[in-house]
Amino acid sequence: MQHLSFDFPADTGILAKIGEQAARSGEKAGFSDAEIGDIQLAVDEACSNTIIHGLKKDPDRMFQLEIRWETGTIEILIHETGEPFDPTATKDPDLKASLEDRPIGGLGYYFVKEVMDEIRYQVNDNGIKTLHMIKKAKDLS
Amino acid sequence: MNITEKSEGDISQIYLDGRFDADTCGEVEDFIRKKISEAGEYRFILDMENVPFIASAGLRVVLVFAKELRNHQGDLRLTTLQTNVNRVFEISGLNNVLRIFDDMKTATQSFSDE
Repeated sequence: MQHLSFDFPADTGILAKIGEQAARSGEKAGFSDAEIGDIQLAVDEACSNTIIHGLKKDPDRMFQLEIRWETGTIEILIHETGEPFDPTATKDPDLKASLEDRPIGGLGYYFVKEVMDEIRYQVNDNGIKTLHMIKKAKDLS
Repeated sequence: MNITEKSEGDISQIYLDGRFDADTCGEVEDFIRKKISEAGEYRFILDMENVPFIASAGLRVVLVFAKELRNHQGDLRLTTLQTNVNRVFEISGLNNVLRIFDDMKTATQSFSDE
């Protein structure tokens, strides 16, 4: 498996760069354009949550982004030491609700769960929290 | 995010250029908020032809204003969504409750028809 690792500050200004990096890895792994869009969405939502909620947008605090890929598979891991939050335990929004009844938030991790095949969340003995997202290509391009 | 605006009667046509994510959503929110508070406008169309990516933070801004403006007999409507952006609206289900058009002309006409 190919492997890249980056340390980023908790600053939303780096989201575009993260999206480009995820897209490049997705292309190399043979994902379709639509699937690359999904990968970008998932990594953006997960990193946004880490930056804003986990690390409180403090640019002096860092998180680690790991991207691993091989043909037909991509794995994205986010390691951080911010506020604990288990995205796998979030409730899905009611997609059939009227505009009036749609809550303003709550879509971010719903997107991650929708577009990725597998999501794991764990906290190790040192307090490092890891979100591990996996996607497999449906049709190899 | 680059934001430009044209007026067509009482309709504000807003052209977005760039990613609509957690980093840039505040710029769009501030722009529309200012138009509402200073110009008293309640009819907006967001042109997304040059928006290659939208995240939930961008959807939140769209949803906030669509709800608020409809309470003032206005609306926030959308036009010219790129394929990947359109897919995000579909996954969210918001394509069912927002009014989305293929081009600015049709979106503008939709207000005149009311």
